[in-house]
Amino acid sequence: MRALVVEDDPVVASELIRGMTAAGFVVDLASDGQQAWFNGDVEDYDVAVVDLGLPRLDGLSVVKRWREAGRGFPVLILSARGEWTDKVAGIEAGADDYMAKPWAMEELVARVRGLIRRAAGRSSPTLEVGGLRIDTHRMTATLDGALVKLSPLEYRLLDYLAHHAGRAVPATELSDHLYGDADAENANAIEALIARLRRKLGAETIQTRRGFGYTLAVNAT
Amino acid sequence: MTGGSLRLRLIAGAGVAIALALVVAWFAMTWLFNGHVERRVEDELMIQVRPLLADLQLARGVPVAGSEPADPRFAVPAGGLYWQVSGTAGAIRSVSLWDSHLPRPVAAPADSWRVRRADGPFGQHILLMERTIRLQPQEPAVAVQLGYDLAKLVPAQREFGREMALFLALLWTVLALAAWAQVGLGLRPLRTVGQDVERLRRDASARLGGAYPRELAPLTESIDALADAREADLIRARRRAADLAHGLKTPLAALAVQSARAREGGAVQIADGLDSSIAAMRAAIGGELARTRISLVHEGRSTVALPLIERLVAVIEQTEAGERVAFSLAGSESITLPLASDDAAELMGPLLENAARHARRLVHVAVDTVAGKRVLTVGDDGPGLDSAQRDEAILRGARLDSADEGHGLGLAIARELAEATRGEMTLARSPLGGLEVAVRWPLSD
Repeated sequence: MRALVVEDDPVVASELIRGMTAAGFVVDLASDGQQAWFNGDVEDYDVAVVDLGLPRLDGLSVVKRWREAGRGFPVLILSARGEWTDKVAGIEAGADDYMAKPWAMEELVARVRGLIRRAAGRSSPTLEVGGLRIDTHRMTATLDGALVKLSPLEYRLLDYLAHHAGRAVPATELSDHLYGDADAENANAIEALIARLRRKLGAETIQTRRGFGYTLAVNAT
Repeated sequence: MTGGSLRLRLIAGAGVAIALALVVAWFAMTWLFNGHVERRVEDELMIQVRPLLADLQLARGVPVAGSEPADPRFAVPAGGLYWQVSGTAGAIRSVSLWDSHLPRPVAAPADSWRVRRADGPFGQHILLMERTIRLQPQEPAVAVQLGYDLAKLVPAQREFGREMALFLALLWTVLALAAWAQVGLGLRPLRTVGQDVERLRRDASARLGGAYPRELAPLTESIDALADAREADLIRARRRAADLAHGLKTPLAALAVQSARAREGGAVQIADGLDSSIAAMRAAIGGELARTRISLVHEGRSTVALPLIERLVAVIEQTEAGERVAFSLAGSESITLPLASDDAAELMGPLLENAARHARRLVHVAVDTVAGKRVLTVGDDGPGLDSAQRDEAILRGARLDSADEGHGLGLAIARELAEATRGEMTLARSPLGGLEVAVRWPLSD
């Protein structure tokens, strides 16, 4: 696994390199924003750990430029700024996770691995249902070409419905798929997930067939 | 004595000014009254003397009166009313003059009565009217004089002066009360300014605005300008403190790395000491950053709730805890929370993160209006807390000083942000089975 560490503080950088190397990563270091952007643009990394306060180009701009250039590797922001507005800005810039300094190396490695696991490829690359396109490699969805931000649970539910497009999928089946059991107590959570997906994709995209379950409309737009 | 009170100073000034004006009015009115009374006396004398003049004759230069004025005071010695007619060869006079006489007229006018004051008989000070009359064209003129003892007017003048003084004193009281009310009315906007300045003291972003009388505009504008400068200074200082605190985090992380390496190298005692100092500094920085945020909280701001909650949820869904739970959001699209967007994010972020950490499957977030209050609730279907644990949790999160990063700091910030915006945070059992945190804000008017 190749990782890019973007950090301007030499001591922090060396610790990150040491910890990630010990966890089995091959680590490159970029100590300013310009170098980070260049490395991320030309090299293939499995993950990047990015500080925000960088010389020459700030970390948020680096992530935005990578995303604009179509670089889709997962990015974890590791910053001294731990406010929620900073976290929101980081995620909205295209990062996949956010950790505030000080950090525990074990947690950082676990979260980096989680990001890589989520981004891991699958056999069927894309699913298309009407205007909805699901990229199973990147685990992303677009609606009429526009990226739809989905949580992992939402993605998994949508992915399952897309694989069974046109069929009414009972809530218990969804519960079994998402949580590994068909516990009736999960019904509220399933309903909440469906409601949020409808908000993001349009109310008609997922239809309820009373007594049968949920259907991803084939003519969804 | 009144130097400390504008109200007393204004009332005292008004009282003295009104008193001076009324004293002047008393003198003027008394003078006018005296003049009026004397004119009445002149009119009366002229009426009294008509029978005398109508039947007056001249015999070899001596006037002869056919009839005399009817007023008995002319017939009583020193009676206060006197007449005298002087011819070229002698004069006749009223009995009231007895053996005295009026001062000899000097060049008395022939066409009208001349009025003057003179020393009269019996040591009296009299009002003297005099003129010349020619009884027949071929005869020499006679001088007619009428006298009135001015002492007879004094009681009426004194009585008038006394009554006028009483009336003016009453008028002074009424006018002083009116001045007191007027001063109170005039100073009321200043009291309002005082209350608003107090509001400004509590909230650096508050301003007095323009709802004051025109005359106070220079004062309120100056206060607002001062508040602008104060707020700018405050924000600058807080930002500097925040930047400093943020700036220290990376060196502290580096120091922690050094400490870990020292520990690996066998210097356990040194590492323990370093770790202890690092923890204390982190707690201080975390607390300072939280205090900075809370000190910059502005009242009177609002944020549309659901879009912000969606953005926060998008962050939490990236975390290990967040990715395995579903979030259900309830509330109208336009419903707002009474605090700025940044503050709302810092308040809700820890609550959502905490709920996601403890939830089994579901976190329910709702924003609603209940019993005149805006209510934010974050509930989960986790194991929840019993009553004693909830009390302990709210206490642990009560003080920024006693919280450190990861140990109640988020809850402490959320609680202090709620309180800084007049909200109240409570913990209860969620209908989902877990913990429900509610923040209630009174709706402004």
